[in-house]
Amino acid sequence: MTSLTNDDTLILETIDRFIEREVKPQVRELEHDDIYPADLVETMKGLGLFGATIAPEYGGLGLSTTLYAKIVERIAAAWMSLTGIFNSHLIMAAAVQRFGTEAQRREFLPKFATGEMRGGLALTEPDCGTDLQAIRTTAVRERDHYVINGTKTWISNGIQGQIFALLVKTDTTAEPRHRGMSLFLAEKGKGFTVSRKLEKLGYKGIDSAELVFEDYAVPADRLIGGEEGLGLKHTLSGLELGRINVAARGVGLARAALDESLAYAQVRKTFGKPICEHQSIQIMLADMATRVKAAQLMVESAAAAYDKGERCDMEAGMAKLFASEAALTNATDAMRIHGGYGYSKEFNIERYYRDAPLLCIGEGTNEIQRIIISRQLVERNPV
Amino acid sequence: MRHRADFSGGELNVIVLIKHVIDVELNVRVRDGSVVQDGMTYVLSKWDENAIEAALVLKDAHDGEVTAVTIGPERSGESLRKALAMGVDKGVHINDPATEGSDSMGYARILAKTVTRQPYDLILAGRQSQDTDQGGTGPMLAELLNIPLVGNVVEIAAVDGTKLTAHRNGDAGKEVVEVTLPALLTANDSLNEPRLASLRGIMAAKNKPMEILTLADLEIDPATVGAAGAGTEVVEMQPPRARAAGQKFEGAPEEITKEVMGLLVNEAKIFG
Repeated sequence: MTSLTNDDTLILETIDRFIEREVKPQVRELEHDDIYPADLVETMKGLGLFGATIAPEYGGLGLSTTLYAKIVERIAAAWMSLTGIFNSHLIMAAAVQRFGTEAQRREFLPKFATGEMRGGLALTEPDCGTDLQAIRTTAVRERDHYVINGTKTWISNGIQGQIFALLVKTDTTAEPRHRGMSLFLAEKGKGFTVSRKLEKLGYKGIDSAELVFEDYAVPADRLIGGEEGLGLKHTLSGLELGRINVAARGVGLARAALDESLAYAQVRKTFGKPICEHQSIQIMLADMATRVKAAQLMVESAAAAYDKGERCDMEAGMAKLFASEAALTNATDAMRIHGGYGYSKEFNIERYYRDAPLLCIGEGTNEIQRIIISRQLVERNPV
Repeated sequence: MRHRADFSGGELNVIVLIKHVIDVELNVRVRDGSVVQDGMTYVLSKWDENAIEAALVLKDAHDGEVTAVTIGPERSGESLRKALAMGVDKGVHINDPATEGSDSMGYARILAKTVTRQPYDLILAGRQSQDTDQGGTGPMLAELLNIPLVGNVVEIAAVDGTKLTAHRNGDAGKEVVEVTLPALLTANDSLNEPRLASLRGIMAAKNKPMEILTLADLEIDPATVGAAGAGTEVVEMQPPRARAAGQKFEGAPEEITKEVMGLLVNEAKIFG
């Protein structure tokens, strides 16, 4: 187990207070009405969350992934949508920090860090998500700029954000296909429009949108790293962090479902005793708590490896797989334990139940996670 | 040295007195006449957070510097760091084993020597600390410094030239008090809502000045403070009596009213 420094403890205390004071009192109302939490975003800006993992020399806080994952877990336990507002923003920032030119870093990272400029990733298209090499959005070079055409969908922060790491094809004929893929920083402007807000089962409050690019001209110096053909590599390298993010959300959700079930099971009585004394409930509680603990340890271990610069693609994938399934199972168990109250919109359980499935299908479906894990297993253990 | 009393229009320098205390939200246990320290966690005393917030609001309005002062062992530094993270400019930590066991007067003596090392216009403190609930240190310090005191402040209405107007909760209701600066105010928790220490503030706190002092640095005779110099002694400590379980009455309203009234009069002796 990693131990926390004094600063870490203070930071988590601030996060907990923010949640108690500002998130919990209004989460159900905002979520049910699908309202973008503008005031919470302002508070998160003030706290520095939009620069959490950006390096201090570019105005960020430079937090370790280990600490960052704990922050994500806590906030997700209160309202998962809030984590989406800064998660993909920070992955965009990480791509600029790791692969951008120095000029790009200096221009954008300080604005990302304060939250003055916010955004996310624009990868998924109507016809492809997990299989990114099949994207159809194109960028054609014309003198000092590129002209982009295509459609992106399910883009988190698509309406409220101003800038996106946009994955396109700069060469549609390249073989292998990824050699023709490039990643741009695309700021909203002429030719870049939001065509619609997407309605969802859960993950409400945060805007998921369809973005349309019609002869959108982006200056050539917005090509991340300044070199064509590296877009997929840049995108995939952010996925470790992305998986740790999603895994941490899963832990938060699974823990929230457990905490509420544990409390409810001690006060709700049937047949003359609290339901936590009935074996059927005991078994569910024990399994829920075990899943939470295991998921937490997996996230911690993947984050620690990431912080040390060790290879952790498989570990992050395993954490994502396990923690997201834990969230889904715990949300379902929590509903069984709560009975009618779990189904009621006056409690949180129904929200966990709607939010959890996203974790299993987002950031690479759990099906492809398993395939990747298996491939890595073989690759790392050749006979 | 006394203090600057004329800041008219200029900067307002504020000293905040803070204390790192046992987290009373947790289950505090008493064994053999003293609080069991094992496994306890410590926090910044809650009224002190209100004092810090008030100081920071004044700083925003008038500029100047906010210094937080604490007395206690190594761990007390955590509350100072929290104050710095909230926005306080400078920390002073009196860390000397000889301060252990101080009563309110002992703390006041140490603080009197500490705060007069630099010019100040205002001293803020919580109205009491969350661990002992004694509420003595602030008033005693004001007395030692010979400056006016306003206790249990719920609002700082105006700071104008060398005068400050504060509202306090008194016995008969709210009192509006005007004092000449420098003065000492103790904060009620309704004075304000303390800000969160931002993540940025927490990281920035590392680079803020933190002075660590001993009694020798302050030229204080150890015999006058700590357990040695205490005029009061806690001779015994008892855990609060456990609350008995409530009683539930069932039946017709008229009957149970009679029953409850009987118990209130004869058992609880609430009515004459």
